[in-house]
Amino acid sequence: MKPKVAFFDFTSCEGCQLDALNLEGELIDLLAAVDIVNFREVKTEREENYDIAFVEGSISRESEIPRLKKIRDQAKVLIALGACACIGGVNCLKNSLPMDEALRIVYKDDARYYDTMPARPINAVVPVDYYVRGCPINTDEFLKVVKALLLGKKPEIPNYPVCVECKMAGNVCVFDRGMFCLGPVIRAGCNAICISGGRFCWGCRGLVDDPNVDSEKDILKKYGLTVDQVTERFKLFNAYQEVAK
Amino acid sequence: MRKVKVNVHQVTRLEGHGNIVLNAKDGKIEELRWEVTESPRLFEAMLRGRSYQDVAFIASRICGICSIAHTTASIQATEVAFGIQPSEQTILLRQLLFNAEMLESHVLHILFLAAPDFLGVDSVFPLVETHREVVLMALRLKRLAYNLAELLAGRKTHPISCVVGGFARLPDLGELKAIRSRIEAALADFEVIVKLAQTFKIPDFVRETEYISLKHPNEYAFIRGGICSSDAGITPVSEYLRVTNEFCVPHSTAKYTKNERDSYMVGALARFNNNYGQLLPRAKEAAHELGLKAPCHNPFMITVAQLVECFHVAEHSLRLIDQILARGLEEEDNRVKVRAGRGVGAVEAPRGILFHDYTYNDQGVLTEANCIIPTNQNHNNIQKDLESLVPKILDKPEDELTHTLEMVVRAYDPCVSCSTHSLRVTIK
Amino acid sequence: MEQKAVLVVDDEPIVRESLRDWLKDAGYQVTTAETGEEALEMVEKQDFGVMVLDLRLPGKTGIKVLEEVKAQRPWIKSIIITAYPSAETTAEAKRLGAIDYLIKPVAPDDLERLVRETISSAGREPTVAAEVEIRPKPPVVEIVEVKKPFVITQDSLRSIVESLAEEMEIVGVKSRHGKYVYDRITSFEELCLDYDVTVMPPTKYLLPAKETLLKFKVGDGTRVSPVTEAIPRAIIGVHPYDIKAIELLDKAFLATNPDPNYNARRQNTIIIAVDCLNPSPKSFAPSMGTHLTETGFDLLLTDIGIDYVVTVGSEKGADLLAKYAEVREPTSDDIAKQKAVRDEALAKYKLSLDVPRERLPKLLEESYDDPYWESRSKTCLSCGSCVMVCPTCFCFDVRDEVSLNLKEGERFRNWDGCMLVDFAKVATGENFRHDKASRLRHRMYRKGKYIVERYGRVGCVGCGRCAIACLAEIASPLETFNAIAESARIKEEAKRIVREARAETELYAPRLAELVKIDKLTPRERAFEFRFMDDKGLGHRPGQFVEVSVMGIGEAPISISSSPTRDGTFQLAVRSVGNVTNALHALEKGAIVGIRGPFGNGFPIEALEGKDILLIAGGIGLFPLRSLVQYILDRRSSFGRVILLFGARSPAERLFLDELAAWSQSPEIEFQETVDRGDESWKGNVGVITTLIPKVNIEPKKTMAVVVGPPIMYRFVIIELKKKDIPDDNIILSLERRMKCGVGKCGHCQINDVYVCQEGPVFTLAQLRNLREAV
Repeated sequence: MKPKVAFFDFTSCEGCQLDALNLEGELIDLLAAVDIVNFREVKTEREENYDIAFVEGSISRESEIPRLKKIRDQAKVLIALGACACIGGVNCLKNSLPMDEALRIVYKDDARYYDTMPARPINAVVPVDYYVRGCPINTDEFLKVVKALLLGKKPEIPNYPVCVECKMAGNVCVFDRGMFCLGPVIRAGCNAICISGGRFCWGCRGLVDDPNVDSEKDILKKYGLTVDQVTERFKLFNAYQEVAK
Repeated sequence: MRKVKVNVHQVTRLEGHGNIVLNAKDGKIEELRWEVTESPRLFEAMLRGRSYQDVAFIASRICGICSIAHTTASIQATEVAFGIQPSEQTILLRQLLFNAEMLESHVLHILFLAAPDFLGVDSVFPLVETHREVVLMALRLKRLAYNLAELLAGRKTHPISCVVGGFARLPDLGELKAIRSRIEAALADFEVIVKLAQTFKIPDFVRETEYISLKHPNEYAFIRGGICSSDAGITPVSEYLRVTNEFCVPHSTAKYTKNERDSYMVGALARFNNNYGQLLPRAKEAAHELGLKAPCHNPFMITVAQLVECFHVAEHSLRLIDQILARGLEEEDNRVKVRAGRGVGAVEAPRGILFHDYTYNDQGVLTEANCIIPTNQNHNNIQKDLESLVPKILDKPEDELTHTLEMVVRAYDPCVSCSTHSLRVTIK
Repeated sequence: MEQKAVLVVDDEPIVRESLRDWLKDAGYQVTTAETGEEALEMVEKQDFGVMVLDLRLPGKTGIKVLEEVKAQRPWIKSIIITAYPSAETTAEAKRLGAIDYLIKPVAPDDLERLVRETISSAGREPTVAAEVEIRPKPPVVEIVEVKKPFVITQDSLRSIVESLAEEMEIVGVKSRHGKYVYDRITSFEELCLDYDVTVMPPTKYLLPAKETLLKFKVGDGTRVSPVTEAIPRAIIGVHPYDIKAIELLDKAFLATNPDPNYNARRQNTIIIAVDCLNPSPKSFAPSMGTHLTETGFDLLLTDIGIDYVVTVGSEKGADLLAKYAEVREPTSDDIAKQKAVRDEALAKYKLSLDVPRERLPKLLEESYDDPYWESRSKTCLSCGSCVMVCPTCFCFDVRDEVSLNLKEGERFRNWDGCMLVDFAKVATGENFRHDKASRLRHRMYRKGKYIVERYGRVGCVGCGRCAIACLAEIASPLETFNAIAESARIKEEAKRIVREARAETELYAPRLAELVKIDKLTPRERAFEFRFMDDKGLGHRPGQFVEVSVMGIGEAPISISSSPTRDGTFQLAVRSVGNVTNALHALEKGAIVGIRGPFGNGFPIEALEGKDILLIAGGIGLFPLRSLVQYILDRRSSFGRVILLFGARSPAERLFLDELAAWSQSPEIEFQETVDRGDESWKGNVGVITTLIPKVNIEPKKTMAVVVGPPIMYRFVIIELKKKDIPDDNIILSLERRMKCGVGKCGHCQINDVYVCQEGPVFTLAQLRNLREAV
């Protein structure tokens, strides 16, 4: 019996769901291996009976919480899809402002009609079984997790920093080119794509299990950045941890 | 006493979250609303206080489908604010990159989101059995668009190499050459889709409205030009507020827009209506084969206009690649000199005209931002379409009625989560 | 130990005596036998690692002897020698398990090499079935003498490169973002041969970041096939320090257990080296003796201004010059200029070791507990940059990937490094090097001591890449060595090790075995009985382990639980803790798994024979110990008293209940068991296993204790055994580490300088006193 898979989204840009299905012939293989019973963006019918749930997006409104809890109750395996669900993502940038101020900036006098709360990753609300990280996700990693679930094995996700993959890709270190980079404390698995693309690592995959963040901050300071600048760069994706501290 | 109650919670095959509510009794409409229930993302608040180096990166995350459009609009707004003129090479590369996203977005909408309606199935998944070749073709076209974007910007969703002033890494000419033949093959694929589209049962519904898009003297405008209204002529991009005129609907709190009439439409059909003459030859042929003539006032034909644009985008990309191969590529100095200033960037996202309006201080830090999303500009038009259409079909069976209403919304290819504004509507 | 013992069986005295003398000179312990019957008597009396056996013998034939020795001591590896090779006899010999054959007359070097390789090989039984062609002896590439130098012009170099470009891929040094990298070269102008150092070393072409080892299919029938890649390639611009690194990799990957993937690439690579005339400010190559090289390249170029002096290093190099270049004899000016530019370059180096490098191993040995490691590693990010850019780092990880249909996949390897946090972590979660200080220390010891002692080559070539790459600026081995320096000197030999290794493609490819029986011992533990699909035996010693593959899930080390004397099948007992063991537990009868091995040294049977044996098993320590218990019982007359103590945590966790019952009844073995805590029905001893030891009366000098159990148990058991005055040499233990490749290459199982999969897992207590990480 094919496992039943469902996709859900909360506060997000929906890029991760689409990238998960950025497949060619593999889509046919995927549909042969699992039954996608719930995917609002792509099909109308939906089933309330599913085994595996992929959830994209962070939680930023009260009304989203019961919906998420219902999904956790139903699904045997819950997987956070993308930076917003895994670590909070860009949505958390507004957390450093008081909520009513944030609303006022956007809606001015009409702010009273809107509600919002500090955005958070889904594991702040329910227990999560696996993570597919990144902004957006890496389609290969998504498939890796699916295959691991089908095989009954734990997905082999790296616990080492981006630097390893950056060197494997043959890149010249960003620090040597006058930029700075969060790579040394951020979890690999993206093949250092942003550095290969001419930029640097913004940290969208979140920290490794045991990052030496103080050392990274010292290094960045050595290259001429103030503590504030460094913290601001961290907050782009990892604001949830920084602000919570 | 016939009671009609339609409550579609979270319309499917839509990017983003929205509801349709209809309450009617005895042929009289008590309530008819298109509601957007997307959570407020509050991007304008998030962009404040950020260095220009990060702004486009964050703005990209407004949307997962049209991240290239947001990135481009954002970068152009910053360039105008700093007084930076991108080089010809940069413009060629940006246009090519833009075409990649246009292609991907249109293929996704035509074949994955809208076609199921016109073919009478629930989603693309059953089409894998009945129209396997078409599905594989759609996947192939999407993959082509992804690969082209990867070649130019490192990644299609949330591109990497686009920076203020140009590109952080240039594509490999050999790979550009190789992908050219795949784009040529895509043109043949579109012919097949045209044949399929000719079997679509497209509802016959007409409501004339105002059409707004970019317009440029030398090209079918996607990334530059002035704001063109089908009623009123051209307005410079910097004065966009005169055209958009955002306002709130009491209790509904949807930010709507309007210009010369009660509402206006943006998107593929608006572009087609305003700029038909500048389409490249294959696109014009396709329009003719599909029975699409400018001006067209049937919103269900937006999908068809998208298919026509696919031809244009493919043909245009071939020309761009040939130009780039002929000129070669040169590493450029992308260093940016910041200054205080304000700039507006406008592009035609797949769904319509998009504005990013930024103000910077002299440190290159953003102090104010305003983004007007195409779908936002269409909400009002959708509402008006529903108000015009519903009385005509009120006596149809409830599920047919519901389905038609959903199809109206879907036809616009809305990108709801782009709405950095959110609406909360209470139904009585 | 007995592995160095060789038995030579031949009826001709002159053959016997020559073989004996050659092998004795090479350091082996040799016994000879004239007939098959004599050989069998020898084998009964003594254990051997290898038997060299003539097929034509009076009386019992060589084939019969081979068969009977296999039954008696299944792990003895046999080499056939014969003057009359025929397809049938060699096929028959192979079918009976002979490792290889030599055709008479035998050359001493060939014999010695074959014996050496056989003894240290991982117990590979050839998987080829009956059909065997008579192969000519594999040629051995001799060390090529360095030839006279010549001079060529820039144009000639261009001509060489452009001509090679028509036959193969050309990679060379080019500039990128203000640095230098190795990458494909599309035009001669791209080459920047006057560079200082590249970001990544050229070793990435011999050991790439990711490489497929096997392809497999599962589903209806399991099929596994090894994959090697051999793209012909020329690397242009290799500096001498990188040449020295390649020589180290050659030794590590080819000299023992030849690695087929590395071998394929190595054979297909042409190396055109250049002298380093603009060293990087972080380089200290002269201190490591690597700023110049006389071996290891096909051609070496020295830029003397307008032209190059070119030194030929191999036949291939000579060939290139002959075909594509215009050469002239060097004048004395040219040679003087070559010396001058080299001297000039030498003067540019800013950094040097304060101590002769030969002293480094001793120096490091004495600094194990120095607080330096802790303080130096404080700012380490564990980012892995130092190991990724290092030319002498070659540790790797091995993983499986499958396609979406789950029916096919590949096993691949990718770079790994001891400086990464989880490098030494095992499935239960224990991490044997969990703190940064121990990881940093291990890396420096590898570079300065372990590699030198194991391979006889320099471990750090002083290129400076890690010093450049490290953001925290703590990676430079020079700074570390100097920081703990005294004066020392290391001698270095420059020997070219590249040789034509036999293309054994099956080093990583498992043999397929069918699961024939499952015994559920406890909810968490099962015993599996396997039979190889090709029906050949495992040929193991008690105490060895195998690597078990469930294709698509992965591969894990499991001790062998049955004695080799019980032929046909072998048993593995497994506790389910991780991905592979969980997958094993989900298997049903008839399932197919992959088996590699046997690996490791096994228990020292010869040291045990004739003695009293005290066997102590804690919990699942019984799994490996059982193979020894069964062996001893099958050969009971070879041993004195046999005492077995077994401790389980609770009655429900006792293992192999039938056998426990049999042992407690048997007069051949004194069996005692205990449980940590009892239950209502338990009538036996209650208490930890150490409580049983004082009750046993033994003669310490006559007794060998063999202990296997969880790490915590060892400490207390050893205390009790020492109370009984059993000498350290008589206490034998089996250790667990993270094993992956099983053949001493991937690096994960290291305890200080030993590889557990090679020199272990069985150690005497005396040996362990010297392994600081083992306690």
